[in-house]
Amino acid sequence: MLTSLEPLINGILLGGLYAVIGIGLSLIFGIMKQVNLAHGELMILSSYFGLVFLQLSGLHPLLTLLFVFPTLFIFGYLIQAFLFNRVLGKGMEPYLMISFGLSIILQNALLQIFTPDARSLKTSLVIQTLDVYGLFHVPVIYLVDFTGGLLMIALLHLFIKRTYLGRAIRASADDLSASKLMGINIRRMYAFAMGIAAITAAMSGVLVGMTFTFYPHSGTQYLIIAFGVVIIGGMGSLPGTFLGGLILGVSQLVGAQFLGPGFQLLSGYLILLIVLTIRPQGILGKK
Amino acid sequence: MLEIRNLDVYYGGLQALSNIELDAGKGQIVSILGANNAGKSTLLKTIAGLLKASSGTIRFDGKKIDHLESHDIVKLGLALVPEGRKIFSSLTVLENLLMGSYTPRARKTKEENLENVFHLFPHLKERVDQTGSNLSGGEQQMLAIGRALMSQPRLIIFDEISLGLSPLVVKMLYDTIKRINQEGMTVILVEQDVKRSLKTADMAYILQEGKVSLRGDPKNFTEKEVKQAYFGL
Repeated sequence: MLTSLEPLINGILLGGLYAVIGIGLSLIFGIMKQVNLAHGELMILSSYFGLVFLQLSGLHPLLTLLFVFPTLFIFGYLIQAFLFNRVLGKGMEPYLMISFGLSIILQNALLQIFTPDARSLKTSLVIQTLDVYGLFHVPVIYLVDFTGGLLMIALLHLFIKRTYLGRAIRASADDLSASKLMGINIRRMYAFAMGIAAITAAMSGVLVGMTFTFYPHSGTQYLIIAFGVVIIGGMGSLPGTFLGGLILGVSQLVGAQFLGPGFQLLSGYLILLIVLTIRPQGILGKK
Repeated sequence: MLEIRNLDVYYGGLQALSNIELDAGKGQIVSILGANNAGKSTLLKTIAGLLKASSGTIRFDGKKIDHLESHDIVKLGLALVPEGRKIFSSLTVLENLLMGSYTPRARKTKEENLENVFHLFPHLKERVDQTGSNLSGGEQQMLAIGRALMSQPRLIIFDEISLGLSPLVVKMLYDTIKRINQEGMTVILVEQDVKRSLKTADMAYILQEGKVSLRGDPKNFTEKEVKQAYFGL
């Protein structure tokens, strides 16, 4: 009866997943004013780590997060500490180059190790649907994605607002040299921030791995989604990224409903173009 | 407390400071004066670790600090209230002050330090939850000073705190600095306001084009000497 609302509802739920995909990119831009082109690969790396831990432990895919979270945190910390920190203060180009190179290395490493076969983190959640009071149906996996995304963003928000390190991160985005004068070790802080961005990539990577099939090259399409989310919602704004995710999700599924399933991606990008035209800084973006 | 010898600093390809020699004794108020671009801010930034000297030494309480990064210098008890205040505009007054107590040593006594800062600046206590960007110039300056105090320093450097503020506010700030000094704090002041600076200081150094052109007890300076030291006429 209310099944016509399904694209809207599913769009919102999918949007929660899109939001988590975008948050890692948004964080790094908000804190360091840099764009990490390897963000998609960090996600897919997480999906593959999930696969490995799944096969090693036989645990439920969601529980593999217990292993994937620390692994990705350490990975993110290390690439910032040993790669990106080398070009601190040198502008955007060196960082873009390094992150681009990193994405190529990661994609090809995954290709070598795991072959180009399609993979997924198999779970029965994918085929289950929830019957909401007989009014409409919702794929359970979408609910899981949305909940995971919302939880991650809420925790991140709390961290940024309430902890000393979160405050330090906000302070360094306001004024870098004043932050140094407070005793903040900027290199170490950036490494920590990258670790956190990697954790969000871990969350979205595992969720994506459960929801869709993935390949070594899947990182690119998710990077594009991340860009879309962040552009619509506004760079460096946490609530903005969440909103951006919802809007992108809804645009895609509602567009697919009206124009046809082949138009899913295009519908999303049309909305992206519209936002870029009338409000280039994003809906909740600053500057 | 602070000892600088043979300091050379290059900035933007030019030599900003040449062979600087400076001493600040414990509990003193030391003034650094000079025309614009004489090198005052460069000197302060180098002391605080934001800039690196190409040669020379800086010792704080006997310990060499010229090779240290800013975040380590603050931990030793040297705080800078930077030019232009540089408060954290998206953080509240309270969060700004808490940032001041970021170092482990300062974090232990943060409640006490917070009380002291509010005692010195009751105005700030009233605006505890206001965002930095909503404060007036005078309030921002108070916040910047309070923030530096939160790090429990033994030496505070004030870089041009009177810029853009009304004489009444400036007088209040200077009275506060005198109070802090009377409680044992060593103070280094950089000021455009020559008269006030010379009145407050125990020792003064005048910089001209990156070199120390006059040093001594400012009470003994003649107006002619000061003008000469400033402009080299």
